[in-house]
Amino acid sequence: MACSGLCLLLFLCSHAAGNATLFISTSLFQSYADQLHSHPLIVSVFSKGLFLVFAIHIVTGVLLFLQNRKARPRNYKVRTRAIKNSQASGSMIYSGLLICLFVLIHTAAVSFGDHGRIGVTIAEMFGSFLLSMFYILAFIALAVHLSHGFWSMLQTFGISHPNYTTFIHRLSYVVPLFFLLLFGTIPLLFLFGTGN
Amino acid sequence: MTNSIDINLEIWRQKDSRAAGEFEVYTLQDISTDMSFLEMLDVLNEKLTREGKEPVAFDHDCREGICGMCGAVVNGIAHGPEPETTLCQLHMRHFKSGDTIVIEPFRSRAFPIVKDLITDRSALDRIIQAGGFVSINTGGTPDANAIPIPSATAELSMDAAACIGCGACVASCPNGAAMLFTGAKISQLCLLPQGQKERKERALSMISTMDSEGFGNCTNERECEAVCPKGISISNIARMNREFVKASLF
Repeated sequence: MACSGLCLLLFLCSHAAGNATLFISTSLFQSYADQLHSHPLIVSVFSKGLFLVFAIHIVTGVLLFLQNRKARPRNYKVRTRAIKNSQASGSMIYSGLLICLFVLIHTAAVSFGDHGRIGVTIAEMFGSFLLSMFYILAFIALAVHLSHGFWSMLQTFGISHPNYTTFIHRLSYVVPLFFLLLFGTIPLLFLFGTGN
Repeated sequence: MTNSIDINLEIWRQKDSRAAGEFEVYTLQDISTDMSFLEMLDVLNEKLTREGKEPVAFDHDCREGICGMCGAVVNGIAHGPEPETTLCQLHMRHFKSGDTIVIEPFRSRAFPIVKDLITDRSALDRIIQAGGFVSINTGGTPDANAIPIPSATAELSMDAAACIGCGACVASCPNGAAMLFTGAKISQLCLLPQGQKERKERALSMISTMDSEGFGNCTNERECEAVCPKGISISNIARMNREFVKASLF
């Protein structure tokens, strides 16, 4: 989970960098997409690799969820969480499934769409209020997922030291918030007509 | 001055490991707030015995918070609501008159219920048997300071060694994972010179046994750390992960 999660986080960083061109103009975003698709071999290798990583992350996540449910055949009558604000960790499977649904819709609309007019497609998509709201909801789910996933990934890799605990704790808020603001602002820009 | 409270109890009763089990409700009056939780259960059992009923079976031994024998889930929290406190050290002053207290056994596939609140926690013993020891001959007692160990390292090892193996970490983990226990036992030895010789085999063997005993997987929910009566840190789980990777690769 942690290894595939790290790969997906690196993909998110590169995706965010590309999407950031939308803050300037859709034509710049179009030229970025054209440049990317002028290297079909790179796109093919990375998209297939990405699909594989996604599949590994989802399958291991669901397997873990099912194994963990088996480890406690009967639940407690009274369930009290000793850790407060544990909603993110307790809902990883559900936020993950919502992100999975989003990825399916997003790739069907954008990745398998006409790359020659992707800038126009994006502008048309985010003109729809409902679709924009769904995207924002998915980005919130992503932020919630990352708020636990990022710290959990470091813990699984064994990266834990009293000197860095505060820094890592802050990062687990900063990283998801960064992606939420960057990705979430784009549909809002187009929805309120300030995107161009 | 001693105060008394009246309490309602909902306790899981299960005749044996195969029986279905169900909650039974009891009422106790004039319970001294100076009593420990287990003394309150003693009072209940005396009452049940006088009435010709089967007393509630529960684990206990030292009643000093050091043996790791006692343990039950009280109102949804392993060992009850007080942090870093075993069930035997929990006192009735933390409850109010009229409270309903729900008492359940530690629930995990790896901890089958023996009777009422007693569970079979021998799965933890088998993890220890897999490598939680030093089997090399270290000779006689060395001279003091002959093998210097940094104070911080010794403290980390001693902190991990504080684990009493009560199983509250497993009981509280939403996944029924035993990684805090195993992490503490691996850390305790891998930090000290005596534990170096068998370091790799120990990590691989203990983790393999932990997996085969039917415990769940850690998803870093931190519930184990929050309820641990000895305050064992989840940094021990991170250390165990490092030990596992190092032992697997090098």
